Amino acid sequence: MDGLIRKMWWKWLGVALLVYVFIAGMLIPLKPNVPTVNYEDAQPGEALEVEVIGYNTSFTQQEEDTRALLCFPDSLKPHIVAQSVEVFDDRRAKFSFQLPADLPTDAAFLNLSLIVSGGEDGTYIRPDAVRLENSGEVAVSGTGATWSHEEISGLKDLNRMTFPARRIIEETIRNTYFHVALWLAMVILFTAAAIYAIRYLRYQKLAEGGKLLNVIKGLDVRQRADIWSLALTEAGLLLGMLGLITGFLWAKYTWGSYWSGDIKQYTTLIALLIYSAYFVLRITFREPEQKGRISAAYNIFAFLLLIPLIYILPRLSGNSLHPGNAGNPAFGSQDLDGTMRAVFYPAVIGWTLLACWLASLRFRMSHVEIEREEMWERETIDSEGQMESKVIS
Amino acid sequence: MLKPIITTCLLLFFQVIYAQANAEVPVDFMRSLGKIYVVVGVIVIIFLGLVFYLWRLDRRLTKLEDQNH
Repeated sequence: MDGLIRKMWWKWLGVALLVYVFIAGMLIPLKPNVPTVNYEDAQPGEALEVEVIGYNTSFTQQEEDTRALLCFPDSLKPHIVAQSVEVFDDRRAKFSFQLPADLPTDAAFLNLSLIVSGGEDGTYIRPDAVRLENSGEVAVSGTGATWSHEEISGLKDLNRMTFPARRIIEETIRNTYFHVALWLAMVILFTAAAIYAIRYLRYQKLAEGGKLLNVIKGLDVRQRADIWSLALTEAGLLLGMLGLITGFLWAKYTWGSYWSGDIKQYTTLIALLIYSAYFVLRITFREPEQKGRISAAYNIFAFLLLIPLIYILPRLSGNSLHPGNAGNPAFGSQDLDGTMRAVFYPAVIGWTLLACWLASLRFRMSHVEIEREEMWERETIDSEGQMESKVIS
Repeated sequence: MLKPIITTCLLLFFQVIYAQANAEVPVDFMRSLGKIYVVVGVIVIIFLGLVFYLWRLDRRLTKLEDQNH
């Protein structure tokens, strides 16, 4: 770190990565999908008309080759194909199905998934699109339609870069590059801070053993480790606070309220409070060595608590809204697909580098402060010495 | 004289908004356009956080400079 502190390339790299993240993260559209599905209840054997309102869809450009299918959940078999597709505009279309006379299931009802496929928008699936009640009887007035048990074939691929479309989350999936990446950057910074704290204790031991420590630019390596630890913790805490506040906003519009009392919200708040106490601790001790030793030990202690608090406890708990906990998948293949990865990983590196830049400014300032103090002390001692010599003479 | 004009303007304004949101579930501002304003809000919060850090650094530097003289 000490050699890089005045170099600019890594700072510009961080900024460039973040610029890329902002542009790609905001401009790449969501995958076309149909969030709104309206239909009138229909019984087996009757006609079913499904009206959809799409998001990012372009029905008019694929009017000729739009296909719609209703299929059983999970296996996508058996299924029926829409007999006609009526397009109103890019976002509105009506699919007409003929329901078969029977419903080949024992369940009381069935939530069918809607698959829409076309040359322009590719293929997308809307789970729980249509709910059918199962009376258990075969309708008499059959229309001749039957469930097809064959594999669905001829589905179109989407040849554009898109982010996954999720219900409820919708466009806020982009927060992955801001909120989620901030947390990862915070963990990286706290890890670095803990490493410097360990270094401090090691140098301290060496110094106590009578070894002379290396001095770089007027500060010995032990002092440097102490300030690095402080600067990195401060920048990490800033990221953590921002992660918590952005989490409030995101939670409000996806979970329903700013604070849901979720296990992950509690444990991260506790972890951040533990880290805040680090700064209180630092101002309590005046004597530099005592201050350094106790705050380094506390930093390591806080880091050892941070990992179980934010990673292990929420996972062990039986109930959490937050992805990645209590059995919820965090980064499944659906949640973080290839396109998202191409933005997410640069986001983590970018935020980390930016935070390191802030930390390095903080380091340099503390450096100047300490030098100033030492100079001041020397001057006072010198002037006192002069005064004493005057008295003696 | 002014009141009817303002009322008319407001009515026209809301008419435009309602015409755009026509036939969809009425949503508030933050939930409109696929909740994109939540992302905007998150970015604004992060920006303000960075500015807050700069502001604190700025104040400490001022103190340091003042000691100099």
